[in-house]
Amino acid sequence: MSDKEILLSTDKVSKVFTLKDGQKFTACNEVSICLHKGETLGLVGESGCGKSTFVRTIMGLHPATSGKILFKGEDITNLTGEKRREMARHIQMIFQDPATAFNPKMRIKDIICEPLRNFAKVSDKEAETRAVDLLHQVELAPEIALRYPHELSGGQRQRVGIARALILEPEIIVCDEATSALDVSVQDSIAKLLAKIQREKGVSYIFICHDLALVSLISHRVMVMQKGNIVEELPGDKMQECKHPYTKKLLDSVFTVH
Amino acid sequence: MLLNVKNLSIDYQGNPTVSNVNFDLGAGEIMAIVGESGSGKTSVIRAILGCLSGTGQVSAGEINFAGRDVAHLSNKEWLSIRGKDMAMIFQDSGNMLNPVQTIGRQFVEYIQLHSDMSRSEAVKRACELLARMNLPEPERVMDAYAFELSGGMRQRVGIAMALTFSPQLLLADEPTSALDVTTQAQIVEELMQVVQEAGSAMIIVTHNIGVAAHMADKIMVMAGGKVVEYGKTAEVIQDPQADYTRTLLSSVPEIGGHRYVG
Repeated sequence: MSDKEILLSTDKVSKVFTLKDGQKFTACNEVSICLHKGETLGLVGESGCGKSTFVRTIMGLHPATSGKILFKGEDITNLTGEKRREMARHIQMIFQDPATAFNPKMRIKDIICEPLRNFAKVSDKEAETRAVDLLHQVELAPEIALRYPHELSGGQRQRVGIARALILEPEIIVCDEATSALDVSVQDSIAKLLAKIQREKGVSYIFICHDLALVSLISHRVMVMQKGNIVEELPGDKMQECKHPYTKKLLDSVFTVH
Repeated sequence: MLLNVKNLSIDYQGNPTVSNVNFDLGAGEIMAIVGESGSGKTSVIRAILGCLSGTGQVSAGEINFAGRDVAHLSNKEWLSIRGKDMAMIFQDSGNMLNPVQTIGRQFVEYIQLHSDMSRSEAVKRACELLARMNLPEPERVMDAYAFELSGGMRQRVGIAMALTFSPQLLLADEPTSALDVTTQAQIVEELMQVVQEAGSAMIIVTHNIGVAAHMADKIMVMAGGKVVEYGKTAEVIQDPQADYTRTLLSSVPEIGGHRYVG
């Protein structure tokens, strides 16, 4: 992977929150990563370890306390206004539960096309064609375009979430626990879909998950995070060679059937 | 036999949802019901507890619990069984707990409802149960509200409450699905230990066949409201007969398993 173009990198990004009583809480402590083109970077750790805070900082949903975020070599740490908005074309996000990420009163075709409409004037007819095309890419039937989110199952909704993330043809998609709320069999099908899209489009993923087994199977590289720090980095297919006790603890928590 | 379910069928507003479920469970045994969302697994254990939600009802069959058919008891008759002889652990105990009462207050109310313990005895008993579930500083937990506890702590409170009267039958509906893998591993171990100590039988509903394989003596696999496979855990895992069971088995992510990416 190292010979490939670096899409996104962070240099010692920290995020410190001030608590009600004035105390400081460091959610992310000097996290440095780099993400190559067409690569999946897994980020694993328990709830509260700072993995979501870290990606929210990358997305610009809240400012970093210190450190630098570079996208294709350009500093995007403190972008504001129109420039920040334009970045959304390049980095999109898939959430844990799309039921809460979607407007319940919008039809699926409008949900999928909303990001597109934010950037360009699109006729209704054109929007519908694009929506149906994307539904096809995420292996859903075209009829779904006219339905509402509550009429779909959890797995179908997550596919719509992926379709919406894809419509702007971003270079990076951040998946924040995108499969954690799903049944194992549905989780398997969504993971396969994400991998297929990556092969076809060369998109890069930051895949956040608390399940070490799943992360290791879907990621080229895995970063293990504990209490705001990256404690270990491993290739996805060499998890057994981990050294850090926390990674070992995560490994032991996996229930196997064989 | 503690529990014997014969030809159980359940419908919601006349729509058959579960049909022809048969199984039996002896004291101290753990059975797992596995299947996807919507396969009817939760309906089965809710029917056993006599609390099918909304319009659901048992349309046919028998549920024999400790020598008595409980499929058609009245609410009044249920009061003496539910919570005492049979108890349930929910997916997210946070939803079961009253958000505006402290844990201690509702725990004590629950204990006093089913026994003639005094308030101070009930408080003491509640603290013991919380301590047994590895909750540090049980007194502090008693004074806390549900929202002040983490998901894993809430789940431990739910389990502690369900175990209060060492019920003969414990029903657990996805007890670890809302938790982190590390917390899940801890809760699974604790649950197995306390169930063994209390000598209860348990039915655990889960979509994770890995958890089922680890915990259960026997496994029932459900799909579309029907039982597709039922047998001893080792047999179901090592030599699955139904295609659906094989699909479920292959979807469990494992370290060193089949990779999605190159």
